[in-house]
Amino acid sequence: MSERPIWERRYDRRGFVAVSAMTAFLAACGGSTTAEEEPGGGTTTATDQPQLTGELFYYNWADYVNPETYDRFTQETGVTVKKDFYPSNEDLQAKLQAGARGYDIVVPTGYMTKILVEGNLLQEIDWSRLPTVEANIDPKFRGLPYDPDDRYSVPKDWGTTGFVYRTDLFDGTLTSWADFYEAAMGPLSKKVTVLDSYPEVIGSALKKNGFSYNSEDEGELEIAKGDLLALKPHILAITSSEYRQMVIAGRAAMALGWNGDGALVVAEKPAEYVVPEEGSEFWVDTYAIPVGANNPDAAYAWIDFAYQPEIGALETEYHNYGSTLQKALLEGVIDPDVLANEDVFPSDEVVAKLEPNNYGPEGDSLRQRIWTEFKSA
Amino acid sequence: MGRRLLGAWSLLVYVFLYAPIAVVVFFAFNGGRQVLNWDGFSTKWFGEALSDPTITGPFRTSLLIALVNALIACVLGTALAMAIPKMRTWVRNPVDALVYMTLVTPEIVFGISALIFFVQIGNWLGLSSILGFWTVLIAHVVFNASVVALVVRARFVGMGQTLEEASYDLGAGPISTFRQVTLPRLAPAVLAGGLLAFTFSFDDFITSFFVAGAGTTTLPLRIFSSLRFGVSPIVNAAAAMILVLTLTAIVVAYLVLRRTERKELAWQSR
Amino acid sequence: MAVEVARLEPRRRRFSAAGGPRYPGWLALPAVGWYLLFFVGPLAILALFSVAERVGFSTVVYTFNLDNFADLWDPLYGKVFLRTLQLAVVGTVATLLVGFPLAYYLARYATRKTLLLLLIVIPFWTSFLIRTYAWLIILAPDFPLFRALRWAGIVPSDLQILYTEKAVYIGVIYNYLPLMVLPLYAALERMDWSLVDAAQDLGDNAWQAFRRVTLPLVLPGVLAGSLLTFIPLTGEYLVPVILGGDLTVYAGNLIGSQFVTSRDWPFGAAIAMVVVGAMTVAVLLYARLARREEQFGG
Repeated sequence: MSERPIWERRYDRRGFVAVSAMTAFLAACGGSTTAEEEPGGGTTTATDQPQLTGELFYYNWADYVNPETYDRFTQETGVTVKKDFYPSNEDLQAKLQAGARGYDIVVPTGYMTKILVEGNLLQEIDWSRLPTVEANIDPKFRGLPYDPDDRYSVPKDWGTTGFVYRTDLFDGTLTSWADFYEAAMGPLSKKVTVLDSYPEVIGSALKKNGFSYNSEDEGELEIAKGDLLALKPHILAITSSEYRQMVIAGRAAMALGWNGDGALVVAEKPAEYVVPEEGSEFWVDTYAIPVGANNPDAAYAWIDFAYQPEIGALETEYHNYGSTLQKALLEGVIDPDVLANEDVFPSDEVVAKLEPNNYGPEGDSLRQRIWTEFKSA
Repeated sequence: MGRRLLGAWSLLVYVFLYAPIAVVVFFAFNGGRQVLNWDGFSTKWFGEALSDPTITGPFRTSLLIALVNALIACVLGTALAMAIPKMRTWVRNPVDALVYMTLVTPEIVFGISALIFFVQIGNWLGLSSILGFWTVLIAHVVFNASVVALVVRARFVGMGQTLEEASYDLGAGPISTFRQVTLPRLAPAVLAGGLLAFTFSFDDFITSFFVAGAGTTTLPLRIFSSLRFGVSPIVNAAAAMILVLTLTAIVVAYLVLRRTERKELAWQSR
Repeated sequence: MAVEVARLEPRRRRFSAAGGPRYPGWLALPAVGWYLLFFVGPLAILALFSVAERVGFSTVVYTFNLDNFADLWDPLYGKVFLRTLQLAVVGTVATLLVGFPLAYYLARYATRKTLLLLLIVIPFWTSFLIRTYAWLIILAPDFPLFRALRWAGIVPSDLQILYTEKAVYIGVIYNYLPLMVLPLYAALERMDWSLVDAAQDLGDNAWQAFRRVTLPLVLPGVLAGSLLTFIPLTGEYLVPVILGGDLTVYAGNLIGSQFVTSRDWPFGAAIAMVVVGAMTVAVLLYARLARREEQFGG
């Protein structure tokens, strides 16, 4: 590890792709020699586990891992990574519940982790096998309500739900959910998108009215429904995937969405990502090991491996979602612009206003009904 | 209706069919990472698509599944279409209902129930996971055999039986009658059905998503999974290449076939 | 002249009434076996679910109760089903109108039939998602074509196609066209065009000849094509999601969301059972009517 790590240099995402293609090419040319040169690079405990063999089946969102991380992991551990992808938490859940097995790591969002635990679909985590995680994790991500004792999951990345708007296409400043609804139903009518995900959208209406994001009160949800039905005719589209490009292209001027996408819009166009004043959601994507995993050893190795500061930096620079490592460890390793970007790493004052998604089955049923009404209105 | 008018209409339909394809090919040359924003001309995505094993691998898987699926579906579907018309009502009605049910069942419903079913079978057989290539193939054939049956039957029913009777009268057995008399007349329908079956399978997402196990990724699965971030230019480039490849292969095959046909004709007329 | 046409009729009638060459019934066995094993098996599980109960977020508890079916009796879902029916009917008719002239031209006049036929299918090897996303680009108001049309004053400046029903129907016609055209072509291709010419020689005008000679013979193809289009359309939901901006709920979305988003498999299974049952009956009736029409009408 004598050279300066390539990821310490500053790249925009476009430049990055070219570089990663190059490193992949170099790695291919270097073949196994690279792997042999570096086994002593042992900053990880992963290499201390000699029994590691075979393949790691990583079932994940697409484009949620820096391609370089795979190569680094294979070099250090000798384990090759097989990847499968799912488009949403719900698809992952349906698949596991129906009985699909053989995946070693999955990445559900916190609320889904809770649901998977309830369905007996996850294995307990043996924290003694995750020394790097123990050492490097930011304590504020431990014991979160979806998994209070950290028994089934290890945080992967985190972020917020809010909205992004184009400052060149709208006169004025928007800071709250009330502003969002007012602008959407006024000057930005038919220029607004919302996520295709009911916790976030219904949560926005709850928060606007000063209720909890996780309210299970029928009266409160009824009020939220009223706001949503009033909003519906002004919505251009309901989408979780295309809104980033729509806002960048100017087809939409405002979108209810996640911070990583917001940060990308801001990087490309005059725009602002807002975590509304009334408060909003903060979500955590987690590593979990499903029952029936073929190679849990490799899963532990991956999770521990990913908690090295260099890897955490590599990841966040790639997908713009906040790392769950202690911030101090990332300093000097990660691109300082990314670390300073409040859209990627929200400040503590902002985080204090946020709630994680944590309602029960009753609240879930009520929300589903509201969502069907909203969509078919 | 005039022939010209029909021709003009058909031309318009082809323009309609290929307009999105033109857009896909055009944007495959987009230098930027954002699909909707034109950001200079570049061919780099083609190289990346070719060297990306998460694209080439699924492509091969999809191709193989689609081909084998089309083959099985053609055999099962054609045989079924030929058997149905002569069945007694009490046999034919339930068989008919079965065929239509495979077609009317929403994919997502069939996908999830098939997944649960396969997992159960796997448990009985004591296998930890039987999901993969074969389960995707089996599930695809269910729907596609019915598609072939429907298409072939539409032609078969109207064919009459005089020629076959003549063939029997001349002493030919059922097999040679099928080969020499029925099949040549059925061929366009079998071809049409087979094409549809191949296309459905190659393009299928929902069923495949559920019945594919860890590690069996088809091309649509790979593409759909990147939905979260929109279609990337690398995917456009891959699609453009698949398209150009098939177009070239088909035009070449067509030219070769026509040439041999001409030679045969010339030989016959001699 | 009527006498002459009548002389054509019996021949045609014997043709279709014969129901095709005689082949043994056991030929159906492989396919039926495949269905029984790999389709009826999964469906039985579905039936089991439809009378089960959901507990908590996702757990399925096997009981026997019909609450899931009772829950369906709700104006909210009635609206969804009506809208689905509208999408399927309008979509099928529109696809038939676009596809029939093409199939007719291919079967009767075109010289490079196989090639042209393949050219219809090839766009569908690019993945549904990519194609539909391409329409997203084409139908956007900032697409050069629209800019030019607006500039020339051909279309109104506030024309919005994307994320409206128009976009959904364009996407539907586009994606279902081969399903319609291939069976139509397969039926038209076996036409004996000399019959049409004969009818016209005998004094029928083009339309009469078409109605009396062509239509009865291609009806099975129209039927097959319409079924192949109509059936999946009743379960369609990705086109409305992508091109319609996901602003309405169709039966496909409803069932899918019960299985995936809402994790209420028993309710999803109940809706599916109702839809599959109703569709099967409707399709069987339609097929029988059309067959009778084919044999005795015309």
